Amino acid sequence: MNVAPVIRRPLASLKNSLRKQREIRRLLATTTEPTSNTSAPPPPPASRSTKPLPESNFFTIPDPKTKQLRTAFAVYSPPRSQPTVAKTTFISTTINPPPPQTLVQAHHDPLPALKQKQISLLDPTGARTALFSRTNRDAARVGDVLMVTHRRGGEPFAGVLMSIRRAGIDTAILLRGRLTKVAVEMWFKIYNRNVAGIEVVHRRKKPARRARLTYLRKSKHDVGDVQSLVFAWKRSRNVLTTGAKSKGQRTGVKGQRLS
Amino acid sequence: MIQLKTMLNCIDNSGAALVECAMVVGQKRHASIGDRIVVVVQEQTKAHAAGMASGGPKVKRGDIRHAVVVRTRYRVQRRDGSSIRFEDNACVLINKAGDPVGSRINGAVGSELRKKKWSKILSMAPMQV
Repeated sequence: MNVAPVIRRPLASLKNSLRKQREIRRLLATTTEPTSNTSAPPPPPASRSTKPLPESNFFTIPDPKTKQLRTAFAVYSPPRSQPTVAKTTFISTTINPPPPQTLVQAHHDPLPALKQKQISLLDPTGARTALFSRTNRDAARVGDVLMVTHRRGGEPFAGVLMSIRRAGIDTAILLRGRLTKVAVEMWFKIYNRNVAGIEVVHRRKKPARRARLTYLRKSKHDVGDVQSLVFAWKRSRNVLTTGAKSKGQRTGVKGQRLS
Repeated sequence: MIQLKTMLNCIDNSGAALVECAMVVGQKRHASIGDRIVVVVQEQTKAHAAGMASGGPKVKRGDIRHAVVVRTRYRVQRRDGSSIRFEDNACVLINKAGDPVGSRINGAVGSELRKKKWSKILSMAPMQV
């Protein structure tokens, strides 16, 4: 199909052959360059590339050695001189490559250490951490009644511990109490400096089967007013301060003030 | 999150028991504690409805009044990281000058009122949290 136009319009065939040459050049540039180190200075063109050439017979050069046609447009990269090869081997032998090190190995995550430092700053005695740690047996658990004293004045807020949101320095607790017959839920950050004290007023008899006691919001399960528990605890605390023994001396954490 | 059609408890002795939010004054988003709203009185307190209270009710059913939100069910975040959430939405009726209509408030109010400078309501409230 292409034959007739080639005959009729020589320029068209020139265009066609130029396009072919360009393709060949691109091919050769990619194939010959890496192998030029090992092969002979004039790299022999592939026989495949010479096949389309004869019909144009315009940009071909007969190779005296191989008796093959090679294209005149192919870019034959000059053979790599020996010094450069030596140079490359020198580099590869003398300089030890660095051991394979991932980014994580090279740069340790600085955040855990930073957070630990911040926690130790905000909680030098470790009392706050201990009060809500998972391992401490005397720690406050969900379902206990806690009382939070604020440094900014105001009455201490007492309520049932509904959930503990453990998030490092952002660890917070959710208390549900009742003030003037209105249920109030408050989140407190345990490492907040304004939180002067967190006290366990009353412990739940059995540990709760849930991590978050959201069912306390339903009126059927609501604990309601905890003021009576707080009063009872205050009375027992006063007894403790006078030296008499009472049931309130069960745990070490109970009634502990945070520094 | 007080917006149009929200029903709120009225916790003063103005005579209204249940009011419906008709508009949030001065802002395009929902109202929170300390924000001013326009309400329609939907129910009167029982004592006032029966005519037992002395002096009679100051507001009647169907009245359109201004009010200040004092408690919300939606959590209110505070600067120190703590947050507070009440069991109900509650408001206190005020007149257009900003003075409370009632003379007494029953129930705790949020301390965000202090920031919004509702000092008269705060002084009347039995407790602020």
